[in-house]
Amino acid sequence: MDAIGSKSLPLVALAGAATGVVLSLQARDSLVRFGAKSMLPALIVFSIMKESGPIITGLVVSGRVAAGIAAELGSMKVTEQIDAMEASAVDPYKYLVATRVLACIAMLPLLTLAADFCGIVMGWIANTLVEPLSFRLFLSHGTKGMTFNDFFPPTLKTTVYGFIIGIVACFQGMRTKGGTEGVGRSTTSAVVISSLFIILADVVLVRVILVFFS
Amino acid sequence: MDEEKSESAVVVKDLSKSFGAQKVLNEIDLCVTRGETVVVLGRSGTGKSVLLKLLIGLQQPDSGSIRVDGEELVGLQGRPLTEIRKKMGFLFQQAALYDSLTVEENVMFPLSQHTKLSAGERKTKARELLASVGMDHHMGKMPSEISGGMQKRVGLARALVLDPTIVLLDEPTAGLDPITAAEIGKLISELHKERHVTSIVVTHDIHGARHFANRLVMVNEGRVLIDGTFEELHKSKDPFVVQFLKDAD
Repeated sequence: MDAIGSKSLPLVALAGAATGVVLSLQARDSLVRFGAKSMLPALIVFSIMKESGPIITGLVVSGRVAAGIAAELGSMKVTEQIDAMEASAVDPYKYLVATRVLACIAMLPLLTLAADFCGIVMGWIANTLVEPLSFRLFLSHGTKGMTFNDFFPPTLKTTVYGFIIGIVACFQGMRTKGGTEGVGRSTTSAVVISSLFIILADVVLVRVILVFFS
Repeated sequence: MDEEKSESAVVVKDLSKSFGAQKVLNEIDLCVTRGETVVVLGRSGTGKSVLLKLLIGLQQPDSGSIRVDGEELVGLQGRPLTEIRKKMGFLFQQAALYDSLTVEENVMFPLSQHTKLSAGERKTKARELLASVGMDHHMGKMPSEISGGMQKRVGLARALVLDPTIVLLDEPTAGLDPITAAEIGKLISELHKERHVTSIVVTHDIHGARHFANRLVMVNEGRVLIDGTFEELHKSKDPFVVQFLKDAD
């Protein structure tokens, strides 16, 4: 949990913060053109909480954690450490795989909250630099009309991303063959496949959330 | 069968294993009596390590039977396989120590998974075993900080930590200097004398093997060529055996 959660926190926070800044700068320009500048706080908060925060967290964690898990398990596989574990009558799927998948499932929503927070704060700062506005007022405008369903399901859907990252990375790591070159292949595959599955899962989950929670 | 269970620790019958088109083991038969130390000799790539991995269920044979303490191992999965593995210790060719754990933690790992010993008791047992292989002064080191010979000694300690009745050793002396190789040979000999452990040792070191083995099995082209004593090996007229002995000298 430490390796997956707290060690991913700086990267996730930075990605969330950058998203908030970019969203604020880009959206301001468009909203001013349509005379809807007052909607900027709501646009930033809603878009970060409902989509940008979860998907950015999923993709950043898939890059960092999936690569790490696949490389670690892949190295253990090619150096017979996993065979040694089995020979010691320890099930490597329970000891190595289940723990990592559970840690990913547990940490993704927490990291998403961190990305959401940093994105909203940096979105406010970027907005305030152009047009000063208190954070309290920004939040008040941003969360106006927001319900539990706007926040909870999108955050919870990242447990699915966590599951995808954990399963794909462990699967790629455990089936590594061919020495260090094989470890490299598994690591690349883990990142590519988990990122792809996260994007596809997002499409499905957004539709499911709209059906059941709107 | 009861007689077989009481006398034999490992019984292998008609065991075959192929990788693609290459037949590595071809209807091998082997019977190892309790407390016996058997050496498996042969050229590289003749399936000796594969045989050991089949004996502990890390790989599945194409056909044939493996009985360990009278229980059929082939096709076994889950808890029954785990229970058989607890009776066995395995020393890998490259030691295969867990590189994220210290020497001491490597030896304590099976204890923490399979026993209810307290942390102190686990430490004591690990310390005793590491002392027996001369590694008690390196307990806090990581595997990357010790030499290949030291890693093998730690691997041997880890293989023995659950007090197995059967030990499988894959090239325990390969790549070691003669002094370390002799020390490992002495440790294997002590396993037989002091712990009455059944050992199956894969090695190329025919001279070292004389000091600890009761019997040898020579494998060539997937078949058992000789199953007997060192005297029988030397009396053999088989061209492969003659060449093997000549090159070993």
